[in-house]
Amino acid sequence: MTAEGRQHGNGLLDPEFMNRLDQLEIVSRKIFRGKMRGERRSKRRGESVEFADHRNYVPGDDLRFLDWNILARLDRLFLKLFLEEEDLHISLLIDVSKSMDWGEPGKSLYVRRVAAALAHIGLSNFDRVSLYGFADGLTCQLAGVRGRRRVSKVMEFLSALECDGGSNLAEACKQFAIRHPQPGIVMILSDFFDKGGFEQGFRYLLGRNFDLYAMQVLSPEELEPELAGDLQLRDVEDDDLAEVTISRALLNRYKRNLEAYCASIKEYCTRRGINYLFTSTDTPFDQIILSYLRRRGLLR
Amino acid sequence: MSFLSGWTIAIAAGLTVPPLVALYFLKLKRGIVPVSSTFLWKRAVQDLHVNAPFQRLRSNLLLFLQLLVLLLAAFVLGKPVRQAIQKHEDTLILLIDQSASMAVVEEDGRSRLEIAIDEAKRIVNRMDDKARAMVIAFCDRATVVSSFDTDRAALERKLESIEQTESLSRLSEAIALAEAYSQNLIIAGAEAGADIAPTSAAPPATALIFSDGRIHDLGTLNIQRLDTSNMQLVNVAERSDNVGITSMSARRSYEQPDVLNVFAEVRNFGPESASFDAHLYVDDQHRDVQIVRLDPGSTEADPASETTGAALQPHEPDVPLPGSVASVAFDPFDYGGSGVVEVRLEHRDALEADNRAWAVIDPPRHVKVLLVSEGNLFLERVLPTLPLQIEVMTPDEYESTDQEMLADGDRSKYDLVIFDRHSTDRLYQGGYFFWGAVPLIDGVVMGDPIDDEIIFNWDDSHPVLRHVPVANIEVYQWNRLELPSEAETLIEGESSPVLSYFTRGGSQYLICAFGLLAEDEVGQPMMNTFWVFKPHFPMFMYNAVAFLSSSLSANARMTTRPGDPVALARPPTADTLTIRRPRGGRDVLVPGKVSTAHYARTRRVGVYTVEPAAPGQETFAVNLFSSAESNVRPSSVLTVGTSTLEATKGSQLINEPLWPHLLIAALVILLIEWVIYNKRIFV
Repeated sequence: MTAEGRQHGNGLLDPEFMNRLDQLEIVSRKIFRGKMRGERRSKRRGESVEFADHRNYVPGDDLRFLDWNILARLDRLFLKLFLEEEDLHISLLIDVSKSMDWGEPGKSLYVRRVAAALAHIGLSNFDRVSLYGFADGLTCQLAGVRGRRRVSKVMEFLSALECDGGSNLAEACKQFAIRHPQPGIVMILSDFFDKGGFEQGFRYLLGRNFDLYAMQVLSPEELEPELAGDLQLRDVEDDDLAEVTISRALLNRYKRNLEAYCASIKEYCTRRGINYLFTSTDTPFDQIILSYLRRRGLLR
Repeated sequence: MSFLSGWTIAIAAGLTVPPLVALYFLKLKRGIVPVSSTFLWKRAVQDLHVNAPFQRLRSNLLLFLQLLVLLLAAFVLGKPVRQAIQKHEDTLILLIDQSASMAVVEEDGRSRLEIAIDEAKRIVNRMDDKARAMVIAFCDRATVVSSFDTDRAALERKLESIEQTESLSRLSEAIALAEAYSQNLIIAGAEAGADIAPTSAAPPATALIFSDGRIHDLGTLNIQRLDTSNMQLVNVAERSDNVGITSMSARRSYEQPDVLNVFAEVRNFGPESASFDAHLYVDDQHRDVQIVRLDPGSTEADPASETTGAALQPHEPDVPLPGSVASVAFDPFDYGGSGVVEVRLEHRDALEADNRAWAVIDPPRHVKVLLVSEGNLFLERVLPTLPLQIEVMTPDEYESTDQEMLADGDRSKYDLVIFDRHSTDRLYQGGYFFWGAVPLIDGVVMGDPIDDEIIFNWDDSHPVLRHVPVANIEVYQWNRLELPSEAETLIEGESSPVLSYFTRGGSQYLICAFGLLAEDEVGQPMMNTFWVFKPHFPMFMYNAVAFLSSSLSANARMTTRPGDPVALARPPTADTLTIRRPRGGRDVLVPGKVSTAHYARTRRVGVYTVEPAAPGQETFAVNLFSSAESNVRPSSVLTVGTSTLEATKGSQLINEPLWPHLLIAALVILLIEWVIYNKRIFV
């Protein structure tokens, strides 16, 4: 990475960490046909210099790939097949609803740093990276970025993201699925606190055969609320009010509900081949990237 | 627990509880706190909103605690008290009744005596450390179980040692003992050696009488030093159902000595009618059974016994005995031997001791009569018509006969000696009938003849005059008699008794002031009365001979009341007498050289056997035969001297205030509520 790129961490990533990210690449569990030739070896036979196999010639094949040596020795027409090298399309859907602007450190900053790291890795490997912010729909995007030179642009985009509006994952996924028919890796970074439910959004994406990743990020305040007394809880997204008398029993019930909700997302994802990742904002960010995501097979 | 001011609770609770509950229904002013999403919180509180507000009330511990505090505070305002045993700080005298009626088993399975002991122990336990108590057990006699002591454990042990007796209940001796001991206590008090008057500043003793109130001698009780205002009656009795044998008679027929007649008087003192079998046993062999039906006894409280105690006097003539009565007459039967006759009531009631009665029967023997007369045609004709063994002597022969012929030791060999106009001092233990003469013993003097007097009074209820119309008797003259004060006049003339009866020294004397024959002016015998020609003269002779001889031979031996001493003659060859008690156990008497020993441990009913025994003393029976003890109805009021004691149930109870405990409980609950509120541990 150039010094210019490193200077464009914009506080999301520090240069030392960015250097460590250079060693990583994003791995997809599925075969995708890239738009452009990239640095990624594809199982599709293509036009790289690396020989893969032979097959019989059929009329219409490019004569440039005919194996002349075999023709000379055996008088038969064989075509030489070479490995195709393609790029990978990585889409990061970043939740920028108001609920993400919560916690210390904020969930929004956390997911933007994750997104920055993943984008950096993708760009470093000449993958095509698309970034989307979503709240009650797709609110902003930086689509089709490729090459290391665009790191700074990505960082600027991520830094400029602001949390606003309510959550509507289904609408956002629907819009994303319509705009991007190409397969690739799609990672949703969100708290999944969506009163409309998460299932419908995933359903839109599952139809597109994406390699889906869902990362749920919660803050410690949400995992272990430190509330007491008779309170009126106001939802920051829609100003919905909930009157509660905080007690040990109620807190226990809340935690049980939260665990059950996370477990339901995980089960839903597991059943449908979606990679579910859970993290709390008090988990060190670099640990997530360098250890956790590698263990889960997203990075190599 | 009770409340001295119960309405205050309702008012205080009514004023405070509804507002508190209403406060919980009011909408709380809640602080607004932003959260990332109410999504999960709403799910969490969803259950709490179900069935509100009752759901809230159900699970709101704080509300319940606050209500509890309020209610406790309201209870405090109601002045709660509980009945507690008064704590005695002074000198106590515990008088424990151990008489027969205290053996009644009450509903809780404890006898009255056990209840009394338990109550006394509770009072002893509550004594102040400086308080002292003495224990006196009383029945027909009083026993100091423990002198004044401050050691509560020792007092309890002494109390437990009090045994049940079946004696009568008399309080006077116990009171005398209590007075003596309490007086000693004052004189030997803290200022020992000083001149302390009986009216000392020492605190007066409190006397607690643990009894069922059936005390015999309340009417004659003389209390001198004890303060009756400091006396308390602790009633330990409730049951009143009892049927008992109040008397029993087993006597041989006069005409047929081998035939035994057994009678029993049975009384029902309970409020319910009773029907049961009365069984007759002879030497433990069942002989007869009679069905007894008894009306209910008096259902109301016995006013006389509750005011003066006079009705408890068993022989008070003017006061009818309580309860309904039935006489049980068993069929006469042949019984020629000696043994024990028992009447047993098959009836379960409060008191067992009076359901059985015993009589010891001697073998039959014919009455031996000696007629001492110069010749009396009428007596010589009448007496052979009676079933007697008759011997006749002239006065000279009587006076000159050796003592061995007339007596066996001190006792006359004849059941009855009839003297016809012959006064003598040669008298042994036995029965004597003097016609126109007197026994020459102290206090008996025959005076001048009396003419022209009439018989104006007689006691026709006496057995001797039964069926004898005395008004038809005409006597020419009789002699003036001077008799001892204990003599009972059966026929009375204008200025002198005509027929009298008295006992002295184990002998019975029937003295008629006239003879059947008299001497005229020239000394010739003449008829003194035409009574001898009347048909009721043989009847009179029959009565007189039967009366004077029956108690000696034909009847059962005299029965002994519980607690009464029994005189036992020492057989010449025996140094000790062994008495076997009816319920096991034996006592050994060592009379020494005294010919007669007295055995006083007769506090249980039943048959006692003596070994070795003088003839006729092998066994003796102890029977309750007391209407006062059998009437187990508790007496609620006793008149002791001039004071009336109202019975308290159980120990003397006082109202002990409970508000400090409730207040402490309220403060503790308030503290818990505060902790819970601050920690928010529970809903």
